[in-house]
Amino acid sequence: MKIFHLPDLGEGLAEAEIRDWYVKEGDRVAVDQPLASMETAKAVVDVPSPYTGKIIKLYGKVNDVIQTGSPFISFELDEGTIEQSKGSVVGSLEESSKKWDEGDVIIGAVKTKSPAIKAMPAARVLAQQMKIDLSIVNPTGPQGLITPDDVKRYIDQSTRIPVVDQGESLHGVRRVMANIMMQSHQEIVPVTIIDDADTTTLSKQVNITIHLLKAIVAAVKIAPSLNAWFDGKTLKRQLFDHVDIGLAVDTAEGLFVPVIKQVEKYSVEELRKKVDVYKRSVQDRTITASDMQGATFTLSNFGMIAGRYATPIIVPPMVAILGCGRSRDAVVAMDGKMIIRHIVPLSLTFDHRAVTGGEAARFLGAIIAYLQGTTY
Amino acid sequence: MAEITLVEAITQALAHEMQKDTDVIVLGEDVAKDGGVFRATVGLLDKFGPERVLDTPLAESMIGGLAVGMAVQGLKPVAEFQFMGFIYPAIDQIINHAARIRNRTRGRLSCPVVFRTPYGAGIHAPEHHSESTEALFAHVPGLRVVIPSSPARAYGLLLAAIRDPDPVIFLEPSRLYRFAKQEVKDNGQALPLDTCFTLRTGDDVTLVTWGAMVKETLSACDRLIEAGIQAEVIDVATIKPLDMETILLSVEKTGRCVIIHEAPLTGGVGAEIAAQIAEKALFLLKAPPVRVTGFDTIVPYSRLEKYYIPSEKRIIDAVHRTMEFT
Repeated sequence: MKIFHLPDLGEGLAEAEIRDWYVKEGDRVAVDQPLASMETAKAVVDVPSPYTGKIIKLYGKVNDVIQTGSPFISFELDEGTIEQSKGSVVGSLEESSKKWDEGDVIIGAVKTKSPAIKAMPAARVLAQQMKIDLSIVNPTGPQGLITPDDVKRYIDQSTRIPVVDQGESLHGVRRVMANIMMQSHQEIVPVTIIDDADTTTLSKQVNITIHLLKAIVAAVKIAPSLNAWFDGKTLKRQLFDHVDIGLAVDTAEGLFVPVIKQVEKYSVEELRKKVDVYKRSVQDRTITASDMQGATFTLSNFGMIAGRYATPIIVPPMVAILGCGRSRDAVVAMDGKMIIRHIVPLSLTFDHRAVTGGEAARFLGAIIAYLQGTTY
Repeated sequence: MAEITLVEAITQALAHEMQKDTDVIVLGEDVAKDGGVFRATVGLLDKFGPERVLDTPLAESMIGGLAVGMAVQGLKPVAEFQFMGFIYPAIDQIINHAARIRNRTRGRLSCPVVFRTPYGAGIHAPEHHSESTEALFAHVPGLRVVIPSSPARAYGLLLAAIRDPDPVIFLEPSRLYRFAKQEVKDNGQALPLDTCFTLRTGDDVTLVTWGAMVKETLSACDRLIEAGIQAEVIDVATIKPLDMETILLSVEKTGRCVIIHEAPLTGGVGAEIAAQIAEKALFLLKAPPVRVTGFDTIVPYSRLEKYYIPSEKRIIDAVHRTMEFT
C-alpha cells in the first residue's frame, strides 16, 4: 500500500479544503487522473493521481481541511508499477519535457572580428557629447589609441577652414595685402554708401582718374574728417591739411598703392604726369617703399577693369576709401522723362568710429558734384 | 540517440567513465542505494557494485578526506556533496590538501578528484540549499571550478573533469537539472576545460554568464533581438582558470559587456572578469562593464527567490544602459 500525502498546492500553503472527491474507495485510477477538487487560500485546484492502481482509502470527507503533508489517499499499486522517484528531500525542481534548444554552440571565441576603435574613456565621452564619429578621428596615442586631444583636434579642424599644407607662401605685396586686410577687417567698423555721378556733360577728354583725385580734394574741403588717420587703441584722430591719396594699381604680382602726396597742390596736367610716372614705376618695379607710405585717403578705380559697386576695405590708419565702378550709359528719369545719361557708380567706405554718417554723405555728395561739374 | 536532462547527462557521464576506467569511484551521502538526493547516481550501484559506489556517513569533512586519500593513491574519486551549503565542513580537506598536494609534494603526487555538488537557487529550497559561492573556490590556487549549463556540457565537461589529473570543483545548477532535454551522444567525448562556449553571436553587446543564469541570459538575448540588439552570449563554463581570451575577443568586437551571475555582487567572479576587461580592453570599451547579480544577502526562502535571481528584465535593462553609449 502506498500513501499519497497532500502536496503543497501553492507556494508554501499550509492546508487545503476538500471541495469534491472525483473518486471513491475501491476505484481504479491512472496516473494524472484527477482525484479531488481542493480549495486553497489561493484557488480551487484539481489534484492529479501520482500512481496507477486501486484506491484503498480516502483520508477525509468533503469540506474537511487537510494539512499539507498529511495522508490524503492510500493506493494499492498495480503489479510491476515502479515508483519513479525524482529524488530531493527538499525543494522542487522545475521539470519540463521541452527541448534544450541552444542553436550552434561555439567552443571558445567567435573567430570573426570587426576592427575595434581604441579610445580613452574620456575621448569617448567627449566624442559622444560633441556627436563625433570616432572612426574619422585620427589617433595619435600608443598602439593607435584615440586620446581626448585627438578628438579636440578634430573638433578644431572641422570648425575651421581646412589647413592649406601645400602650395606657396605669400610674400611681397600679396603678404602685405593679406596682413593689412586682416587687420582692417578685425579693427575697422566700416559703412559703405553708394551713389551715382552723372558725367554726361563732362568732356570726353577728361581723364576720370585725375578727375576723381581732384574731386577728392574738393570733397575733403567739405568733410575734412574723411582725410584723417585714426588709432582705435588710443582713440586718437589726426586730421590733415594736405591730401595724400593712395592710388590702387593692379598688377600680376599683386596690389600696389603708390601715394600721390599733396594732390591739392598739382594741376590736372601735373597730376596726369605724376600718375603716369607712378604707374610706370609700379610696372617696372622701380617704385620705392617710401612712395607707397603715408596716404591719408585711398582711391580704387576698379571700374577700369569691371564692376559697378563695391564695399572697398579701408587701409588703417586711414578712415575712408572711394571706389569707382565701370561707367556706363543708363536710362534715368530726369525732368519727368526717361533719358540716357552717362553714369559713374561710386562706393564710399568710411570708418564709423572716426567719421559720422552725415560727414560721409556730404563727402560723397561733394564728390558727385565735382564729377558732374556742378557745385555741392 | 536519447534526449536527456542535465542530471541524466551527469549520470550518463559517470556511468561511461566508470565503465571505461575502473579507477573511477563514486562516493557521497545516499549516492549508492538511494541514487543520490537528485538521482544523479541512480543505477550506478547496480552496475558497478558497492566497492565502487559508496554510501558515506553524514560527514562531509570525511567525504573530502576520503576522496583526497583515494586520489593521491591513484584512484579517481568523484565525491558528491548533497548541496553547496554542505560543502563547508570539507573546505579544509579541499583547500589545504586537494588543492595543494601537487605543489606540496613537488609534483610527486597529484589529486585527480572531482567534487560534485548541486548549487544555486530556484528550487524552492532552504537558503543553505540555494547559494552560489563559486567565487570562494575560484579564489583558491590549485582548484579548477567548472560549471555546466546544458546536458551536453554537463556530459562533456564532467568527463573532462574526471580525466583531469588535478582537483575539480564541479558545480551543477540544480534548477537546470530537469529543466529541458537535449540529445547527448554517450560517446565518451569530453569537452575542453578552461574554455568558454559562445552560445549566441552578435555585434552589439557581450553577455557573459555561467550556470543556471545561462537560461535567463538566452531568453534576454532573444528579447533583445526583437529590440534590434544583437547580443553575443558567452557561457564561461570554467570560471577558474578564466578563458579571458574568448571574453576579450568578443568585447573587442562589441565594446560593451554585461556580466550576469546568480552569486552575490561583492567579490563575485564577475568582479574578476570586469577587472580584467578594464585592464586589458579599457580603450576598446564603448560603455562601462555592468554586472547583473544576486544581492549581497542570504538567498531568501522560496517566495522571494524570484526577486533574488537576476531576471530577464534586469539583464535587458542593463543591456539598454550600456547601449546608451554610442
